[in-house]
Amino acid sequence: MIDERLQDQASLYALGALDAEETREFEVALQGSPELRALVRDLRAVTEVIAGTAPALEPPASVKAKLMLQIGEQRRPATVTSLNPRRRPLSVWIPWALAAGLAVVSFGFLYQSAGLKAELAAQARRVDELGMSLEVAQTESGRLRQTVAELRENNRLAAIRIALLDSMVAADPKAVAVSVWDNERQNGVFIVRNLKSLPSDKDYQLWIIDPKYKSPVDAGVFQVDAKGNVRAEFRAHEQIQTASQFAVTIEKKGGAQTPNLKAMVLAGA
Amino acid sequence: MTADTNKNVADQTQDAALIERIRNADRTAFMTFYDRFSPLLFSVAARVLGDRKEAEDVLQEVMLVIWNKSGEYHPELGSLSSWAVALTRNKALDRLRSRTRRLRLIEEVAIMAEDSDGSSSPSANEVLHGRERAEMLRTAMKQLPAEQRMAIELAFFTGLSQTDIATRLQQPLGTVKARIRRGMLRLREQLGGVL
Repeated sequence: MIDERLQDQASLYALGALDAEETREFEVALQGSPELRALVRDLRAVTEVIAGTAPALEPPASVKAKLMLQIGEQRRPATVTSLNPRRRPLSVWIPWALAAGLAVVSFGFLYQSAGLKAELAAQARRVDELGMSLEVAQTESGRLRQTVAELRENNRLAAIRIALLDSMVAADPKAVAVSVWDNERQNGVFIVRNLKSLPSDKDYQLWIIDPKYKSPVDAGVFQVDAKGNVRAEFRAHEQIQTASQFAVTIEKKGGAQTPNLKAMVLAGA
Repeated sequence: MTADTNKNVADQTQDAALIERIRNADRTAFMTFYDRFSPLLFSVAARVLGDRKEAEDVLQEVMLVIWNKSGEYHPELGSLSSWAVALTRNKALDRLRSRTRRLRLIEEVAIMAEDSDGSSSPSANEVLHGRERAEMLRTAMKQLPAEQRMAIELAFFTGLSQTDIATRLQQPLGTVKARIRRGMLRLREQLGGVL
């Protein structure tokens, strides 16, 4: 049986209302009493309900975008460029059903082949590097925040799709990108980190996967700087209804009409 | 084993799996956590601070703590979300304490909010748990004697010390402690099958 004094303290502890000294003393008591720990666990659940009486608010999408950047790869701010629009395709596209199937197979295979250990090691490196480049990260986050702020004019934020693209290449796990797509304006911003530079006869090409179309929609080609970074604005070559996924492939200079799925380097939703 | 015990075990198992994935830098798991709980955490921070912009900063800070310091979470003392709520409340209060004028203002708002349960705006509980379950939670809160609810809300949302709450409510310190204890234990009893 827990006496009233400890019940008082447990209630205040769960609410976070004990001062530092009281907290230390109570935590000593906690260590020796499974019954008291069980009470605290219940009272913390009660506290969560009390917290939930706050009027409901949705955080802006920019918070999630900043987080995605901060927990992902972060390097020096990239230069701002625009994706080079590729000429509109004239020929017939490969049926998307086939492409989607290949994409799923490629995705699964590449993820498995990367292996859990490699992924964990890569993530650990990302966290370490995050700590070392916090100032840079904050600068980049600020840029993204500014971009989102520009896009949210007239309360249009609900129309914005933010996606994190992960590396699809086991040998290049540090590559990462964020895509911010404004469906109302039909334009977006694409930020890439640590993608390898390409030979002069190749381009990276961004694709938007919209269930409305049988094939991925071309969103332009781009190159990265010497550090593998780029920040670019882009438009789709078709009217996008739902930007469900984004992908980047390596294509011939100027881009291709259909994505080379074997050369997919980034993908995400 | 009772149904409640089963639920607690299931919740702890889910939390353990999620926190393990987050510790292993699984961004998908982290974003799952973010999508589910950020409205609650943001709502709490905004309620404490009375400022959405600052609440965004607090949410960002809390999420980075969860990502980088998930080892500080102790499952035996509460769920992952309870830990996140405590982190959010504490970080929001840290900011608030540097602004004594605003502290007083928010305190007044908290006092006035005591009778605001009938307002039409949805609560964070409704967003997190759905309307039906949120209604059960709301009913339990409304059934608390007003003086108990006020003492609990002042302790949680304003971060006032027990002595300050006693002064604010013009009651002896022992009475305030008793109100908080009785209210918390009553909620625990009433919500036993829901939590």
